[in-house]
Amino acid sequence: MTLEFENVLPFPLQDYPHSEESVWKRQFKISFPKKVLLNASSGKGKSTFVNAVFGIRKDYTGIIKLDGKDISALNLDEWIEIRRTKLSVVFQDLQLFPQLTVWENLTLKNDLTGHQTSERMMEMLDSLGIAEKKNQSCETLSLGQQQRVAIIRSLLQPYELLLMDEPFSHLDEQNAKIALELINDETDKNQGGFILTSLGSSHGFAYEQELNL
Amino acid sequence: MLKKILFKNSTNFQFVFATLGALAGLTALCLSFQLMMDVQSFHSGEEELFGPNSLVIQKKVTKLSTLGMNNTDFTDQDIKELNRKEFITDVAPFKSANFQVAISEVKGDGLPPFYADMFFQSIPDRFMDIDVDWEWNEYSEYIPIVLPRDFIMIINYGIAQSQGFNQISEELLMAARLSIHLKGVEKKDIMIGRVVGFSQKISSILVPESFLDYSNAIYGSGDPLPPNRIFITIKDDSYGELEDLMEEMNLDIAKSAIDVVKIKTIIGVIIGIFGVASILITLLSLMGFVQYSQLALSKASYEIKTLLRIGYSVPQIVNTFIKQMAVIFGVITLSSITIMLCVKIFLVDTWLERNGIHLEESSIVPTILLALVCFLIFIISNYLNVRKTVRNLGK
Repeated sequence: MTLEFENVLPFPLQDYPHSEESVWKRQFKISFPKKVLLNASSGKGKSTFVNAVFGIRKDYTGIIKLDGKDISALNLDEWIEIRRTKLSVVFQDLQLFPQLTVWENLTLKNDLTGHQTSERMMEMLDSLGIAEKKNQSCETLSLGQQQRVAIIRSLLQPYELLLMDEPFSHLDEQNAKIALELINDETDKNQGGFILTSLGSSHGFAYEQELNL
Repeated sequence: MLKKILFKNSTNFQFVFATLGALAGLTALCLSFQLMMDVQSFHSGEEELFGPNSLVIQKKVTKLSTLGMNNTDFTDQDIKELNRKEFITDVAPFKSANFQVAISEVKGDGLPPFYADMFFQSIPDRFMDIDVDWEWNEYSEYIPIVLPRDFIMIINYGIAQSQGFNQISEELLMAARLSIHLKGVEKKDIMIGRVVGFSQKISSILVPESFLDYSNAIYGSGDPLPPNRIFITIKDDSYGELEDLMEEMNLDIAKSAIDVVKIKTIIGVIIGIFGVASILITLLSLMGFVQYSQLALSKASYEIKTLLRIGYSVPQIVNTFIKQMAVIFGVITLSSITIMLCVKIFLVDTWLERNGIHLEESSIVPTILLALVCFLIFIISNYLNVRKTVRNLGK
């Protein structure tokens, strides 16, 4: 998958100065599989970047292209197909179903894609240390635990690009590393790539490319 | 699981009200439709002979008529005017025999000896809706005759007693042959006739039109008699127009015939009003349900947006919603049909029966079809509404 930006600038960021390295108001193209870190301090538009690429935000000038196609021209059905097969996401606000249990949140996604086995899902829960929370409803979990559920959910589908918006903001460095390892493994299995936004930490991972805002 | 997510926030209060509204509306609609069908199939017994909504009109006989100064014949102009009336769907003047007629018994057929002067009239065959063969030609075995029911009453409760002979049942009279004495200007003949039916509506002795044309040509004086009675068929619920016409043309119509038209008109109007009210209630309840689903959707907007973002398609979400709605509507539709049948059988029919009104059972299939059509309209309108809302949430 390719991601292209052509002079993209979100409306809320139009009055701010942007450096030469910023992704805003610039032309660039990334070909995946590739593991990318998007590093920026708070308020620079990391979530805007993720949401714009995922097709949720449309309040920007310029053109964003996925596989050479202007995403503003995609209709809802095309987006749904892309989100099911090529593009996965971990939202900053997680967007879990709070009334469902951890397992229900995961199977809701995996039943749709049939991408992982139950055993593999259990392994993932186990590796991220939340296996015993399997039957607990998500609203009763801590933010860090919910973040791990959202990360696992994003891995329950095939993807060429996984967008992650500060996925480890509520995790300690040790757990963040474990989670990133899991993400890396799954991304390799999918022969895909990811863009991970971070407030500065690289979590000790060797990224192939780094973007700035 | 989708159902659990989508309906978790919907309130019971709204749901109960929307359901009760839909149930009341649909039940009222089914009931008024079924009653309308029942009233349409109302038979006075007479209609088996002459079809529905038909009656005989004649001009009132006044003192002047008795003095020969007022004619009760219908002119060509009168007939044209009747034809022009919108509520009259068919007009047929009576034809009269232009010669003398008498009947007597056929010996050995069980009837006591009698001889009576008569007259014959005919109306077009299309008004004669009877099972027996009403066709007549020169080679027919007998002349079919329809007698006024009062005729046999006069014989049984008047003549039989005073003349000292046995009473005659309708069955015997219909089984026995009659000698018909035809006496023209130059020719006399005796033919065989048979009673094939009795009429309360027509106080005349009816024979097939083909026989009357044939016999008038042979025995008649040559001048056709102008009609003084006319058979008309009127539209349903046209009592008002009929009353105006009676006034306008100084008509005389059998009270029983008018009463049937009057009752049918009144019942028709009442059920019509009830029907319109039920359509309004049904539409309101439909809107109530659309509102309920709209509310349920807006309360589940976060869930719907999230489902669309993790790859669920619009039809998957809409179908989950509509399946749930279909179950609810299905239960409402079935309940409405059941309640309608219970009200009809245990309340309305019982009440009518107790008051001596016998309605012919009409089929409930059209009412069930109507309920199914309402069910489909409910589902389709909700489907379109839900699909639009879900798509908007996905944008």
